[in-house]
Amino acid sequence: MRGNFEYVHTRSIGEATRHLADAEGHAAILAGGTDLLVNVRNGLTTPALLVDIKGIEALGRLEVSENDRTAVIGASVPLNRIAEDAAIRRLFPALSEAALSIATYQLRNRATLVGNLCNASPASDSLPPLLVLGAQIYVHGEEGERVIPLRAFCTDVKQTCLRADEIVTEVRIPQLQDGARTGFIKQQRIRGHDLAVVNVAGAFLPGDKMLKIAIGSCGPTPVLLEPIDLGSHSPETLAEEAVRSAKAAVSPISDVRASATYRSAVLPVLIRRLIARLLDAKGGA
Amino acid sequence: MSELRYVGKGVAREDGIDKVAGTARYTHDLVVPGMLHAALVKSPHASARIVRVATEAAEALPGVRAILTGDSLCYRLGLYMQDKCILAREVVRYQGEAVVAVAADSLDIAREACSQIEVEYEPLDAVLDPRDAMAEGAHLVHPDLADYEHMKGVFFPKEHTNIAHHQKIRKGDFDAAFGHADVQLTASFYNPPVQHVPMETHATIAQVLPGGRAEIWTSSQSPYTVRHLMSDAFDMPHANIRVHVPYVGGGFGGKAGLGLEPLAYVLSRAAGGRPVKVVATREEEFNTLPSRQGLHSTIEIGCTTAGKIEALKSTYVWDAGAYADYGVNIGRAAAYAGAGPYAIDNCWIDSFVVYTNKVFGTAYRGFGHLEVLWGVERAVDMMARKLDMDPVKLRRTNLLKEGDTTITGEPFTSGHGSPVGCLEAAAEAIDWEAPSEAPAEPNKVRGKGIAVLHKAPAMPTYTSCAAVIKLDEDGAADILVSGVDYGQGTYTVLRQIAAEELKIPIERAHVTWECDTAFSPYDWQTVASRFAYMGGNAVIEAAADCLRQIRDVAGKALDADPADIVCENGEVFARERPDKRIPYSRLSLGYTFPNGNSIGGPVIGRGRFIATGLTHLDPETGQGLPAQYWTYGAHAVEVEIDTETGEIEILKIVTAIDAGKILNPKLVVGQVVGGVVQGLGSALSEGFLFDESGRFLNPSLADYKIPTAKDLPRETEQIFLENPQPGGPYGARGVAEHPMISVPSAVGNALYDALGIEFSTLPLSYERILLRILEEKVEKGSPS
Amino acid sequence: MHTVSFRVNSEPQTVSVPAATTLLELLRDRLHLTGTKEGCGVGECGACTVLLDGAPVTACLVLAVEADGHDVRTIEGEATGGELSALQQAFIDAGAIQCGFCTPGMIMSARALLTRSPNPSDEEIIEAIAGNLCRCTGYEAVVAAIRNASRQLTREAPALLADDEQTKAEKASGEP
Repeated sequence: MRGNFEYVHTRSIGEATRHLADAEGHAAILAGGTDLLVNVRNGLTTPALLVDIKGIEALGRLEVSENDRTAVIGASVPLNRIAEDAAIRRLFPALSEAALSIATYQLRNRATLVGNLCNASPASDSLPPLLVLGAQIYVHGEEGERVIPLRAFCTDVKQTCLRADEIVTEVRIPQLQDGARTGFIKQQRIRGHDLAVVNVAGAFLPGDKMLKIAIGSCGPTPVLLEPIDLGSHSPETLAEEAVRSAKAAVSPISDVRASATYRSAVLPVLIRRLIARLLDAKGGA
Repeated sequence: MSELRYVGKGVAREDGIDKVAGTARYTHDLVVPGMLHAALVKSPHASARIVRVATEAAEALPGVRAILTGDSLCYRLGLYMQDKCILAREVVRYQGEAVVAVAADSLDIAREACSQIEVEYEPLDAVLDPRDAMAEGAHLVHPDLADYEHMKGVFFPKEHTNIAHHQKIRKGDFDAAFGHADVQLTASFYNPPVQHVPMETHATIAQVLPGGRAEIWTSSQSPYTVRHLMSDAFDMPHANIRVHVPYVGGGFGGKAGLGLEPLAYVLSRAAGGRPVKVVATREEEFNTLPSRQGLHSTIEIGCTTAGKIEALKSTYVWDAGAYADYGVNIGRAAAYAGAGPYAIDNCWIDSFVVYTNKVFGTAYRGFGHLEVLWGVERAVDMMARKLDMDPVKLRRTNLLKEGDTTITGEPFTSGHGSPVGCLEAAAEAIDWEAPSEAPAEPNKVRGKGIAVLHKAPAMPTYTSCAAVIKLDEDGAADILVSGVDYGQGTYTVLRQIAAEELKIPIERAHVTWECDTAFSPYDWQTVASRFAYMGGNAVIEAAADCLRQIRDVAGKALDADPADIVCENGEVFARERPDKRIPYSRLSLGYTFPNGNSIGGPVIGRGRFIATGLTHLDPETGQGLPAQYWTYGAHAVEVEIDTETGEIEILKIVTAIDAGKILNPKLVVGQVVGGVVQGLGSALSEGFLFDESGRFLNPSLADYKIPTAKDLPRETEQIFLENPQPGGPYGARGVAEHPMISVPSAVGNALYDALGIEFSTLPLSYERILLRILEEKVEKGSPS
Repeated sequence: MHTVSFRVNSEPQTVSVPAATTLLELLRDRLHLTGTKEGCGVGECGACTVLLDGAPVTACLVLAVEADGHDVRTIEGEATGGELSALQQAFIDAGAIQCGFCTPGMIMSARALLTRSPNPSDEEIIEAIAGNLCRCTGYEAVVAAIRNASRQLTREAPALLADDEQTKAEKASGEP
């Protein structure tokens, strides 16, 4: 393929961050490669070095604690593992549903959740569920480790706050309260694999009396709405409050996939349907 | 007629083995020793003068063997209209047009070289809408149109305009009949350009050989047309150009005519005779290689209150893009088929093929008929609304029947098959009389729609085809043809016919897979749903020729009159003496008597078929006989719409086609399901998007969505009528394109039933559907 | 240049490649295994589907160097000893092939499906091949072929769906 890049297979986080630091912005992390290699092929990015992190054992962990209702998802965990993990499906259906909606079976064997996150597409399917789950991003760089709340992670279209020497090592989902119900819904152009025209993730958190909604593909980055107080709303007005809040918070554009008008029309529908699903006594998590 | 042994049976493909094993070699897979690889620099502008091309940096790269620009290639090429250069000369006419070509030791080097080539452009006016292009004073895409060679007497370019061709039908007096009609309807419709999306993109390898010869391997539907047009363009005798067509990974019309062959050839010439392989990337397949023309249509219908269509007028404005070679023939065919399969006494059609500064169009399954019938079949349904009449009844009243004439004056006979039969079969299978059941979910609605289709092969009046059958030493038969089997399965059908006619087991009949103009006999092009018909007839004749030779020799061997020789199961015997049999294997290379004398020789049968009775169309009235045979059909569909998101699901689609004779039930079902799903792509999700400057916005599978396995209808059904086609092999007609035609029309009609909304623009995307639903709500004053 | 040692259809291969080489290029251009096709180069069409350690992936988006130490199966490894597999035969019998360009990728996806789910529902089959675009068949016959193959295999020869002895041993030892 085109591109005169070099490749290094790393076995430790330190090794990876050292290569990134030495390359001074001219290196790229290779996990699944399903975004990176497309961009290299199309000439959109010209890294001099690809740093393969799939050999770093620590980054391959997928740990779900059913007792604590927490999860740790390593940087190199592919989407299929997440989509098919029974514990994730039980505890964090927003995440497994979103993972399953991404691309194709073949691509999900390679593409990683963290890769999708770091690609920071406005239409990312992983960001909205991670937002409503309050995920935290663990980052290692030459200067050590830091934790970034997901809300601060994506700064603009395909931009994150990561420095050139930094690597996301894992995403942690903090304790999800008992009785929580989460879900994900996505509008596509066809039934087959597609990017989101609009996507919405929701977390119904009765313990905190809160409903969290995150919306994707309606702005430069996915947006986490202000939590909606369950106490002030009946099930009927809850959805309408979410819709009102969403309309005020997002500014969908027209692009090759959809018009702003369509996005604006479908967004409330998705919100209502997701909330109805989350509130459904028999369904949900 | 005695029971057929193979024809009409679901014989499996012989080529299936190579395809499932991965041993089928496509042009993509071929390697010729010393081969170079090519890459292209394409225009970023829809319309611009090429001011300067700087190739010095690229030339200096190690491994670059040739760089070509259009100014060194003063050829104009085309089958019907020679308007296209190999690389853009002086001006670029569409964003995506190839401007510079590089041949290098590797694809990576070629692409790197392209990235180092600088082209300076001076943007010019561009015209993007064909209706604007027809207006007075529009920017001329081809100012020199008057100087272009074209097929005279058939196509009529209008000099100093953007009109590459204007086809007219003038039957009866539309103005008078429409003026007097009880009920009148005028409606306009639009089809955007779409692409074939063959899974194998265009690919060609060409090598210039000493002595003014060339050898070409190409993913093509028409090896002989490639050879002919190359011969014409490069002034080489036909025999000096050898074209091989190996396995082809889909064509659908996009690989008919000339593609990358001239470019590969001139690159090889510039590279000192090294073979050069040119393979389109997927983006180039969309943005540089041809599409299906867009179409703006306006349909006017005048009808009696009883539902008899008295007058129909269509104005078709084809968006040909920057080059109109194939487009002009589509414009022609669309005119003579342009009123649908109806008996209409007063019919005027004007079909304009118009240049614009966009990627150019070519043949695509249906050859204009899907696009035209989108308008016609929608308009007929809309007329049914005006008449307050069942759309099926309106169609039944007007479909062609024995005694009617078509709009070109062709008499309709029982040999044409039964459009009404197809309509009725489809209607019954969708349970037309019963309205759709209301779905459980309150936000969903259902509806049913129906549409008819027709098509004849759109081909020159001299189109011909030949077949050769040679018998092997063991009496098996090798069938040589130059029609291409690019998935439609015709080779399997020809095997069946050969085995049937030669009276040999099917395992002993083989079609030689690769076409090679050096030894495969002539075929015009594998398009137009003509190969099974014409190739089938040629094979029947070739088989008869083989048997004549066998009987001749056998007669002497058995001391019997050749007329008394019976051929059965690969053996011969004299009718009165069935105990004394000679297998073909002892006759296929001649026969040797016990004393050593030999007679006969290798058995080689020849067969051919030429289109018969076709005439040119009168330039003023369009009257004439353009059609070797018509195939009629109908689709009926039930849809379910989510009225809050616009999502549409096909619950069931029924397709009824009068095939004349099913030659292979398994293959024909495959053709229909494949064509229906491809038609659903046109119906629901496919369409080129351009920005205001003419830049193509979605040249990738990420944003040009074709149906996946998840997009299947819940249920499909195929119904075949078998009213024999006179002259067809075993009474068969072509059915290859037809399954795609009118699929969007049926869906559009079903949307009216479901939503009460008339759609006139494709694709019927979720967005288009929802936004119309919301518009209607606003208009009606309902809360949205 | 990087040395890549891996197994392709159970045969060890060692090649030296630049980093900027995809697994697809390695298979097709270096090893002349042209059964795996390129349809788009960006992972959208599935024509280049191969099995990497048993998992279907699009080879156009895997670097050759990433295959070092791993096991790759391509369409050329589906038949054994010149005999078509039941799955391959099922494609032929069901009329699931037209132009054939998507067929190797389809069979690879189907092979992986039947290994992980020997009795798949039609929904599972569709999910497994949804990433394999076909323009010719309209998919129905492909779904039928896979359904038929799964029924035949579970009925007649369930052992054929299980790993062969060598693969079992490797899995047990943790080596490719």
